[in-house]
Amino acid sequence: MVELDIEKLREIVGKENVSDDIADLYVYSSDASVHQAMPSVVVRPGKTEEVQEILRYANQNKIPVVARGAGSGMSGHAVPIDGGIVLDMKRMNRILDIRPEDLLVKVEPGVINDELNKVLKPHNFFFPPTPSSGNICTIGGMIGTNASGNRAVKYGGTRDAVLGLKVVLANGDLVTLGTNTKTDASGYQLARLIVGSEGTLGIVVEATLLISPLPKFKAMAVANFDKLEDAGNAISKVMSSGITPSMVELMDNVAITAVNKALGLGLPDVSAIIIFECNGMVKEAVDYEMNAITKICEVHNGSGIKMTDDPKEMARIYEGRKKLFPSLSRFGDGLVSTSLADDMAVPVSKIAIAVHEIHEIAKRNNVVMSAYGHCGSGLIHTKILMDPTKESQWEDAKKAVAETYEFVRSIGGTTSGEHGIALSKAPAMKLERKDSLEMMRAIKRALDPNNILNPHKMMDAPDDWTTATRLRYNVRGGQ
Amino acid sequence: MEAKNLKKFEQEMNTCIRCAYCSEECPVIVQKGWDTDGARGKVALSYGLLSGDLEPTQSIADKLFQCTLCRNCESKCPSGVEVCDIITSARADLVEKGYASDIHNTVIKNIKETGNIYGDTEVMAPLQEGEVPLFVGCQYLSRPNKTKKYIKILEKLGINVKVGREICCGFPMEVLGFKDDLEKHKGQFKVLFPHKEAITLCPTCTVFLRVGHDVDAKHILQIILDKLPEANLDMKVTFHDPCDFSRGLKIIDEPRQILEKLGVEVVEMKNNKGNSSCCGGGGGLLMSDSKLSDDIALARIRQAIDTGADTVITTCPTCETVLKKAATQIKELEGKDIVVRNIEDIIWKGLK
Repeated sequence: MVELDIEKLREIVGKENVSDDIADLYVYSSDASVHQAMPSVVVRPGKTEEVQEILRYANQNKIPVVARGAGSGMSGHAVPIDGGIVLDMKRMNRILDIRPEDLLVKVEPGVINDELNKVLKPHNFFFPPTPSSGNICTIGGMIGTNASGNRAVKYGGTRDAVLGLKVVLANGDLVTLGTNTKTDASGYQLARLIVGSEGTLGIVVEATLLISPLPKFKAMAVANFDKLEDAGNAISKVMSSGITPSMVELMDNVAITAVNKALGLGLPDVSAIIIFECNGMVKEAVDYEMNAITKICEVHNGSGIKMTDDPKEMARIYEGRKKLFPSLSRFGDGLVSTSLADDMAVPVSKIAIAVHEIHEIAKRNNVVMSAYGHCGSGLIHTKILMDPTKESQWEDAKKAVAETYEFVRSIGGTTSGEHGIALSKAPAMKLERKDSLEMMRAIKRALDPNNILNPHKMMDAPDDWTTATRLRYNVRGGQ
Repeated sequence: MEAKNLKKFEQEMNTCIRCAYCSEECPVIVQKGWDTDGARGKVALSYGLLSGDLEPTQSIADKLFQCTLCRNCESKCPSGVEVCDIITSARADLVEKGYASDIHNTVIKNIKETGNIYGDTEVMAPLQEGEVPLFVGCQYLSRPNKTKKYIKILEKLGINVKVGREICCGFPMEVLGFKDDLEKHKGQFKVLFPHKEAITLCPTCTVFLRVGHDVDAKHILQIILDKLPEANLDMKVTFHDPCDFSRGLKIIDEPRQILEKLGVEVVEMKNNKGNSSCCGGGGGLLMSDSKLSDDIALARIRQAIDTGADTVITTCPTCETVLKKAATQIKELEGKDIVVRNIEDIIWKGLK
């Protein structure tokens, strides 16, 4: 445990916003990852000046500070591996300025993604990055991880939607990065550097975000495939055809089985399905693109393609996809979903081969792996379904994770497409980006010389994720 | 500590992937704001107690009892985790270690000694013979006028109910963590209420008669819906779905259809039907943390006021009491008026 002055922190944010009670420390010791490490204190700042004061104090005393949004990260971003202060940023949740005429909105980091979109809707605008966790995830967390989601295929990820940031640096200084315009050639693109930096370079206290007009028309369809390869080839063909779908999602049979069990969606028991969506301001254009995708799917043996523009039916399909990850825990008795090897990205033409290999890796290593995701942008989610109470299963998972990333690298893919690195993906990222690790470390040292901001994550994380922290499960011996 | 009740839920707690989807609109986390206050936090604390990471403390017990068991979390959980069962099991293990609050101990003692939560042997409905057993429940036993009104409504619609001596369904024992007491209580309950089917008045008793006693309990609104004649009361109201009604029993359309039949227009609150917000009175919170319960109720009554209706109707006597208090507070705090009424008042008025 780190020695720190709790009274000092209470003076800064008020005693009701500081806790070193065991109940709070325990809950804030974990997120949606497999990791767990206890903080010394949890602090909930309400304004920028408080964040600055906290960081000044922490920097002077070399106390680690880990920023946390919803705590829904899957790789251990919010897990305080070195103890110290967890900064719960959810109190800073004001929407500061809405400027549809400039295509932008200014928000504090604790604003929830869906809440922002509810506020933008009357203006006929929306914030395009759409993580499945949009109902609870914060803008700050999305910036920290460079989250994207299923509409990234058309609109890009969070990095593409951040115009500017206000960031508190490790020494407590406040800097304004980026600007209010979509184009910006004024020096280093430091706002873009902060996006995806996982709280290791500074604490975001305000974001200027690019918003888009809400499309007037939208249609969705589901195509069934008996062969995974056909589905992968269809996706590649769609993406290289000049069509710009707003969503192209793949679900393999493991995923289909899980959502049918957990949510009763009644999806067909086939090798894979593709959910695709097109949107736009002109109905004929949307219809044209939907028909073109349908034809491509049919050429690649897609069947049972049902198109709909009924909002209720589209919402039903979309909800099923959004809730897929947690639903995987209902796949089979004794197996639960763990957030491991969860968001690699591969070149679009390699999706089928990657999904096939993932299933082979799972078989070899006594675990079940699902493959699904925003495949239009090359993003594949794979969760490992296992019995987390058995020590041997963690050995199996460790091998499966290593083999998966090795294969992803061999086909030109990347370790994380949208969830970030933190702890559980750090060993794979260090192999993938070995040429640039020192550059990353140099940037970190320049901005955070005392290494207080989310230390020992990403390039500085331990090489074995299974022992980086204790695992948050009650692991016992046995096969 | 030995966590014999939580042990049954280890797999269920592993199933929880800690995604935090359950925190969306959780009435406690909305008021208090800490991750510890949401369902994910409570599941994590329960897991810590089971694994031995945590030894019981008063603060852990406080967090686990600060829950209305409204099932909002369960309705939001894509993994279908049985959050309320986990929390009540954690409570049971904590109660065994001496962490029951004084007020909860008193309620349970009352049930054991007098058969009802009030500790008053005189609390009972007028006994009568009839064809179908009616289970009145503690809340309605203490509101004799409302009970009589419901019985007269049934009579007017040609349904004669049998009212006998009864004791508490035992739901407080289940949710407050007195599971061993509940098992003994179930035997006594069966002796006094040996019926396989029943009409019920209280949503919570309806749920617990079904899941705790295997009685085919039907809420009175389900029984009278088809028999009720049309009326033209010409009112505009909003409807508060009690958690045990909409999420527990999945009774959502029936009260609205009844109000429509009686010529009452229903305007919906922001959170309605299966996504209704809790009144703050459930899960023992009203007794153990009245400040938090009040805050949750105020948030709900503000939603009701935002509809523009001047009356909020509900079907649960606890919700009615809690929301009435909130309506009084909102009048004092913000000068806004809203009337809270139970649906039997409206039905009675329509039948007159």
